[in-house]
Amino acid sequence: MEYVSPEGLRLDGRRPMEMRQLRAEIGVVAKADGSASFEMGNTKVIAAVYGPREVQNRSQQMSDKALVRCEYSMANFSTGDRRRKPKGDRRSTEISLVIRQTMEACILTHLLPRSQIDIYVQVLQADGGTRSACINAATLALADAGIPMLDLVTSCSAGYLNSTPLLDLNYVEDSAGGPDVTVGILPKLDKVTLLQMDSKLPIDNLETVMQLAIEGCKAIANHIREVLLENTKELEYRRGV
Amino acid sequence: MVGLSLGEKHFIQGGIAQDLRCDGRKRLTYRPIYVETGIIPQANGSARVRMGATDVIASVKAELGRPSSLHPDKGKVSIHIDCSPTAEPSFEGRGGEELSSELSVALQLCLLGGKSGAGSGIDLRSLVVVEGKVCWDLYIDGLVVSSDGNLLDCLGAAIKAALSNTGIPRVQVTADPSSDEQPEVDISDEEFLQLDTSGIPVIVTLTKVGRHYIVDATGEEESQMSSAVSISVNRQGHICGITKRGGAGLDPSIILDMISVAKHVSEQLINKLDSEIAAAEAEEES
Repeated sequence: MEYVSPEGLRLDGRRPMEMRQLRAEIGVVAKADGSASFEMGNTKVIAAVYGPREVQNRSQQMSDKALVRCEYSMANFSTGDRRRKPKGDRRSTEISLVIRQTMEACILTHLLPRSQIDIYVQVLQADGGTRSACINAATLALADAGIPMLDLVTSCSAGYLNSTPLLDLNYVEDSAGGPDVTVGILPKLDKVTLLQMDSKLPIDNLETVMQLAIEGCKAIANHIREVLLENTKELEYRRGV
Repeated sequence: MVGLSLGEKHFIQGGIAQDLRCDGRKRLTYRPIYVETGIIPQANGSARVRMGATDVIASVKAELGRPSSLHPDKGKVSIHIDCSPTAEPSFEGRGGEELSSELSVALQLCLLGGKSGAGSGIDLRSLVVVEGKVCWDLYIDGLVVSSDGNLLDCLGAAIKAALSNTGIPRVQVTADPSSDEQPEVDISDEEFLQLDTSGIPVIVTLTKVGRHYIVDATGEEESQMSSAVSISVNRQGHICGITKRGGAGLDPSIILDMISVAKHVSEQLINKLDSEIAAAEAEEES
């Protein structure tokens, strides 16, 4: 199947190095300490952060740093064909772990000893790149909750199909069998904190694909920063400062 | 879980006794309702309904299936509710399952009628494509995104809105319907049929706090309830289902009184909801 047309357009009409439309909103769950929704094209996720608060399970309490927990869940209606999935299947456990590790690396946990931070991500619509979208939403929600962080982690995926590096794969491209490189970076420190790849990719091309994903992360970081700034301005205005 | 001090509890109870609740509402006033339709493009119909800090999403997916042998002339509808841990940390893992199934069962009772499908809010006969062979199965999924009390009413409203937003593809049957084989069907991707949603009831939950009862209780008010009665009422003012929650016993005469109050409140709620749904549909089209 042809994923890039001779004119250089992808199935959904994007250029190879074009990202889907980003939309982010802060404060979507009124009762949470911090929350955000993040959309990348048709992929839509909600993240809610509860904490820092008292550790629920005393035996997990750590006297030198905060406990970070994460749960990833998919809504029944999020995928094209409806199927009932039991909670806590392998895939969601793995993604929960990835998100937890990525977020834990950027939260300044040593500033919040003996406390617990819960991150819940809920996928409303899945169209490829849910992993990235969840990390981006979690970053925004953590920032909204006012949790001290090293930097805003952002994540983006890239692939390689029809000998063209492609940025931000959607579901059709993701299931095409080509490589899917998901990268998470700390944009200000310029460090990679998450790197996952499936399928095989010639080693000469890995650098270009990874570079493309990193560029995508940086673009997302700019967008997230704008959204946060906008939100802060509105809060300031409401306070009447 | 809501943690309230003694003073706060007295304040909530006292307010309800004096017909002035914490957020300035009277006992029988709803919070403002916001409806958004068509938010899940992959579904046949979807809606998001917000009442104060309660936020739910409902989606409808239609699939072709076989009618059950007991009721060959009826389609099938199932309702399933999920509580997302984003709404409350206690819903983490399997923590939300109890509430999820309680809500699913209550909604099935209120909206779908009995086991035979008689008295259902949706006309199940309209879902049949070929009698005894092919029918539409409607899968209604609800998701609680944020919870601040009164989930049942909110979910009921969201399902009503999602069903009015639902388009079921027109189906062309190509094979001879009289033969024994499973007929071949051709699903149109351009023509859609709208469901008749005028018969779908709304749910009014009356929560008893102290000696009085209130509608649309917030999470804090619900923590003070002794019992709650959910009554579903359709446009004609007929009672379609009743479920009672909470441990405390109720005097039968109070229940009858509650039903008449619910009937009165439901009129306003149906009108409000219909106008909100119409506004949401108009916004989606523009």
